[in-house]
Amino acid sequence: MSKKSGPKKPSLNKAIPKRKVQCISREDGFTLSFFSMASLCEVLIDTDDKALAIKMGDIAANEAWRIEDKYSRYDKNSLCSKINADAGSSVEIDEETYQLFQFVQQCYDMSDGAFDITSGVLRKAWFFDGSDNVPSKNAVNALLGLVGWHHVEYSAAHILLKQGMEIDFGGLGKEYAVDRTVLLLSEIANVPVLVNYGGDIAASGNRKNNQPWQIGIDHPSFEKNSSPHVTLKNGAIATSGDANRFLLKDGHRYSHILNVKTGWPVETPPNSITVAAPKCIQAGFLATLALLQGVDAEEFLSEQDILHWSIR
Amino acid sequence: MHKYNILLVISIMALSGCSSLGVQPWERDLLAKKEMALTSSPIDAALDDHIYFSKEATSGGRSFGGGGCGCN
Amino acid sequence: MQLINKKKPNLKALLTTATCALLGGTAQAATANAEETWNFDTAFMHYAETDRVTATELIIAGKKTFANDKILSLKLTFDTLSGASANGAVAQPTPQTFTRPSGNGQYTIEGGNTPLDDTFQDTRVQFTGQWTQPLWKDYTVSVGGNLSKEYDYTSASINGNIAKDFNNKNTTFSIGTAYAFDSIEPEGGLPKPFSAMLIGDSNSPSFESEFNETRIGQDETKSTFDVLFGLTQVINRNMIVQLNYSFSTASGYLTDPFKVISSVNSNGEAQEYLHEHRPDERTKHSFFGQTKYHLDSGVLDASYRYMTDDWEIESHTFDLRYLVPFSNGHYIEPHVRMYTQTAAEFYQPFIKEDDSLPSFASADYRIGELDSYTVGLKYGMPIGNGNELSFRLEYYHQAPKSNGTEAFGVLNDVELYEPINAIVAQVTYSF
Repeated sequence: MSKKSGPKKPSLNKAIPKRKVQCISREDGFTLSFFSMASLCEVLIDTDDKALAIKMGDIAANEAWRIEDKYSRYDKNSLCSKINADAGSSVEIDEETYQLFQFVQQCYDMSDGAFDITSGVLRKAWFFDGSDNVPSKNAVNALLGLVGWHHVEYSAAHILLKQGMEIDFGGLGKEYAVDRTVLLLSEIANVPVLVNYGGDIAASGNRKNNQPWQIGIDHPSFEKNSSPHVTLKNGAIATSGDANRFLLKDGHRYSHILNVKTGWPVETPPNSITVAAPKCIQAGFLATLALLQGVDAEEFLSEQDILHWSIR
Repeated sequence: MHKYNILLVISIMALSGCSSLGVQPWERDLLAKKEMALTSSPIDAALDDHIYFSKEATSGGRSFGGGGCGCN
Repeated sequence: MQLINKKKPNLKALLTTATCALLGGTAQAATANAEETWNFDTAFMHYAETDRVTATELIIAGKKTFANDKILSLKLTFDTLSGASANGAVAQPTPQTFTRPSGNGQYTIEGGNTPLDDTFQDTRVQFTGQWTQPLWKDYTVSVGGNLSKEYDYTSASINGNIAKDFNNKNTTFSIGTAYAFDSIEPEGGLPKPFSAMLIGDSNSPSFESEFNETRIGQDETKSTFDVLFGLTQVINRNMIVQLNYSFSTASGYLTDPFKVISSVNSNGEAQEYLHEHRPDERTKHSFFGQTKYHLDSGVLDASYRYMTDDWEIESHTFDLRYLVPFSNGHYIEPHVRMYTQTAAEFYQPFIKEDDSLPSFASADYRIGELDSYTVGLKYGMPIGNGNELSFRLEYYHQAPKSNGTEAFGVLNDVELYEPINAIVAQVTYSF
């Protein structure tokens, strides 16, 4: 059945939740939750000091909102949007943004160009709404000229995109926020914390009785082994996957993971891949990179001796 | 002199055996903690060194032993 | 798509260095100019022995880390010392009178008590500076200096150290050297070795000239040269070990100008008090080993030091600390230290008047046979914004022992080796 349907707006524009932090008691401490970067964000803190937990929750939420306001593509007033709107002219950046670009450059080099934050423009051709609206080759090729981190010029003080290019921190933003939150909280107090921003997770600190954090992952592979939990003591995990974003045409599932060199989806990536690494931003990069290997995702991670779980 | 020969042998053995011991840079999470520094409280160490320098016959070992004061 | 890998890149290693700058660097960007500020440690300590010496010490230390891992450390120390300390004479069942080392006045000790001289009242100021920086790849160099001044004592020293990292920074080998020059100018001048302490009335007109007969000069100096070899090795993720060997040689005036040794008759009764005399050279060797082990519930710090010198003093020091962190960021650290030393070859608690004088003799129990132990507890807590407050309380017990010298006569009726108890209380604030 073929059906033409127009592009769907991202559902984020509906009912943006208010910015407030909730504090809930639990057995070993408190859970602070708030909404940011289109996800439910939680910070679990093991302490008896409720005032400290609330203070740490506020710090975490403010940092997540700060990063969202600065780097979200969907926020008209963000630095990211400004850089994209002013593509073709030099835009001033600060130390933090420069360090992110340095990291992005290293990811681009390490992945041999597969991990590329300028690939966002390709979404103008691809709308992964589960329909069969697969674009034409011409439409994709037209956009390919606007993709490529090697076209970007940047320094400690500025960035210059070619006209028509766009950058998107979506592949790193939440993971970066998780790592920044852990860093800020560890400067406040030496208490065990678990930060979970929509499935991008990091933990630090020694819990009472040396117990690790129990994390439930909806992985069928775990159901098979009847162990629905991953235990995490220190470090981070991040998940990349296309479970909800794909196109289905003629029985062929087009994943939303695009090969930036051809502009077309990667063949047969896993449905979802979860990677563990010391920092969340590292785990996020590795998960995305693994997905880009398509059918070889798991082998790629095993060869690099990286702890991971995948669903196909 | 015998004890110096032993020390020299131990040092050489230690240096050559050392290449199999150790951690990768990303395994330094615990070692990087302030509490894991060899002298994690330099102020306490300095105050104690001063007390023991003036009350006992031994000083130094961990670092230079000079007292710098007339208390012994 | 595949990674083009003629040689597969080690992503873990590359990622580690990639995030170093991002997550380390931006933290400093967020709190504007954090790397250019100073880190301070300030501490106040009070040391009190029962009935003897008390000391108060104040330290203000600042450390600034510049770009490229260059570190400047500055420290200012103030201390005051007062109270009474043993003058070296043996206790007697009858009262004893001594002249103060300055010659200004006498003091009397009751029978049965260890003779203590309470004229000590000294204030000292010390300034220390140290500069550390990387030099070439894997090398770190450090130089520093120290200046200390008190009423009758001045000390100036310089030190230098070079360290090289091996095996991915898992092994570090270092060589250091230090040179100190001390000068002593006690009030009343320096006593002639083995001259008898002049007991009389300081106010009498002939006292001063007779006192000067017992003096050999106004001031003296001492030089100390140290070399330290160190090896640090990371064993595993939880454990690091350090081994040091140090060599120290001091020459010059090593005698204590305030200490005497009792000359006793065949019944143990003190006839005279002779000023002590020590060799003008001392060479020490120390072997030190330390390990820090990160257990699940805390951090263990254990160390051992062995010292031997050419005065025939041998000592062993064991030190054990265990830091236990709590979930609220506070921590507690119990501490135990055990120490034992053998007497210097020329140590003797007294001299028999009939014996010929030895070349060197001292009755200072601090170079005699002694055991000591320390038990203590430290409690620390973070105070917002990375500051820390900590409290330390320690109990130090020192037990001088006989070096084998037999007591006789009235010496059997007194305590020749009186133990000393002290409390150390300290508050530290770091910001």
